Amino acid sequence: MQMAHVSKPARSGRGCRALAAACSAILAVSALLAAGAAWALPGETGYDVKAGYLLDFGRFLRVTGAAPADRRATFDICILGDDPLGHLLDDAVANQVIDGRPVRAVRIGDAHAAKGCDIVFLSPDEGDGIPLDLDAIGKADVLTVSDAQDFLKYGGMIQFVEEGGHVRFAVNLDAVNRTHITLSSELLRVASSVIGKPPAEEQP
Amino acid sequence: MKLWDRRTIAGKLMSLNLQVTGTALLLAYLAFLAYDLYTLRNDLISSLTTEAGIVGENSITALVFDDQQAAQSTLSALNHSPDIRWAVIERADGSVFARYPLGGDTATDLKATLTPRQTLAYWAKGTNILLGRRIVFHGRDLGSVYLLAETSELARRARQFGLLSALILVLCSVIAVSATSTIRHLITDPLTELAGTAQVVSREKDYSIRAPLPKSSDELAFLVESFNGMLEQIQERDRALEESRNALEQRVKERTAELTEANQELEAFSYSVAHDLRGPLQHIANIAFLLQNSGDAGLSDEHRMLIEKMATGTEGMAVLIDDLLNLSSATTAPLRRTAIDMSLMAESILERLQADDPARRAQWTVIKGARVIADEGLMHIVLENLLRNAWKYTSKVDVAEIEFGFSEEEAGTVYFVRDNGAGFNPRYADRLFRPFQRLHSQSEFPGTGIGLATALRIVTRHGGKIWADGQVDRGAAFCFTLPYVVEG
Repeated sequence: MQMAHVSKPARSGRGCRALAAACSAILAVSALLAAGAAWALPGETGYDVKAGYLLDFGRFLRVTGAAPADRRATFDICILGDDPLGHLLDDAVANQVIDGRPVRAVRIGDAHAAKGCDIVFLSPDEGDGIPLDLDAIGKADVLTVSDAQDFLKYGGMIQFVEEGGHVRFAVNLDAVNRTHITLSSELLRVASSVIGKPPAEEQP
Repeated sequence: MKLWDRRTIAGKLMSLNLQVTGTALLLAYLAFLAYDLYTLRNDLISSLTTEAGIVGENSITALVFDDQQAAQSTLSALNHSPDIRWAVIERADGSVFARYPLGGDTATDLKATLTPRQTLAYWAKGTNILLGRRIVFHGRDLGSVYLLAETSELARRARQFGLLSALILVLCSVIAVSATSTIRHLITDPLTELAGTAQVVSREKDYSIRAPLPKSSDELAFLVESFNGMLEQIQERDRALEESRNALEQRVKERTAELTEANQELEAFSYSVAHDLRGPLQHIANIAFLLQNSGDAGLSDEHRMLIEKMATGTEGMAVLIDDLLNLSSATTAPLRRTAIDMSLMAESILERLQADDPARRAQWTVIKGARVIADEGLMHIVLENLLRNAWKYTSKVDVAEIEFGFSEEEAGTVYFVRDNGAGFNPRYADRLFRPFQRLHSQSEFPGTGIGLATALRIVTRHGGKIWADGQVDRGAAFCFTLPYVVEG
């Protein structure tokens, strides 16, 4: 359990945004003082949001150049390592369909197995093993997501961050661009921070 | 309405003109304005719907990933739509997610009038339109977007239309006023002249006047021509009437002159006949008198009887001639009116009658004071005739009762001579006053049949009336009036 304080560059530089952040910070501090160290995020409560986000990422990504024959019948959201989401993910994906494919939640123990997934969530418990896991996945068209610290630095694609009491996410576009995955600009718009550049072909 | 009645025709036409134009313009203004406002409002709702759709689409990721700042920046793009006063994006649970303008009033009371579960709903009040639209992502209800637009454009259009209409109305009024002078020149002036002429004609009864013809050749000219034609006809009829009246008067004058002449000749003739008969008659009477008094000059009794009859006949004829001369003078002699007392006159006549026939038992009464202004000689003839008649027709009664008097009636003083004699059949009362008409035989009551005719002429010449009342064997009453009565 960690309090991720990812400093996020102000996107628009608006004073009100800073004010909102300050208000959130004051609220957070006062909440901490009142309830002790047991601050909700990113505990059980945070994971129900993350489970929803994992599903929603699937709606904003596109895999280019993949032959229709290569497409699997199901849209698999895999969890590598200890599962912090539990039934939350199962509930979130129940009866959901992405791109015409029913969504499944799959637990895997081996990073190599992740190559067959569409989205893989790397448990923060993987710890130092995360770079190894990412290496194992390599350039496979799998969206790698984790809330482990420095996940983007290791070459992960999306990292959950906690910001003002809200679950947000940061994106490493360079990591994404190494695969055939394209993330919707709409999704990038709401990311708390984006590292790297958009793919060359999207820059006319 | 009285004010309207007093207006001139030109005024009425002008105000009618203005009323029609004004009404048409007002109706057109209202219709166009209503149509324009309706389409404008529909356009506004349509564009609001589109904008709400765009805002909703662009807010999906912000709502999914709970990025209020992104939603806020989407809403801030609305500042390019001047009509939109404020906008709100709500989460599915109804809490505010983002608003525009930032920190502005959310006007939740307005929003409450919308049904949030509808995909698209709008509500309009006054110049405001509130529109709500749900944001749905893969069947998931993410929230709603609400836009409030102020339709200031509508009011502006209404003002512009009103201004334009007022301008046109003013123009129309100017045209109507200028048209009125034309109407006055073409219609009202000729009508006024015609009315003036008609008034002069009716006041002065001068049918030789003519109304001036208008320059135009329309119905007005026809009216004036007809009016003039009517005047001409009246004038002609008047002339014809005057001529025939003159001719009639001339003829009456001629006839009267002829009649007068003939009458005079007739009177002269009868007078001369009566007068000239007297001489020979007197001669015969004298001879009869001589024969009667010649002693016994060889005359038989039969001769004496014949001579007696001759003497009686000449006497009767003398009376007849006197009566005829009286009748003649009653007609021709000039009236010399003086104040006379008919009571005294009647008394002397009755005394003389009694003296001539002392054997008669008669009771006579004369009411005193019958004073009138009339011709003494002629009135004497009237009273003589009436009293002599009374004396004659009471001859077969045991005691004759004769009365002269007068009574005040409604029509004036009525004088009468009443007796208790033979009377007459009232059916033939009107015959009494005709000459030579007698109701009794000569053997019964001798007479000439001229006396009452003479009385009628004299009373009529005095301007009075005469009539008779009576029954057979119950006496008779002869009444007459005279216009000039001496009072007291």
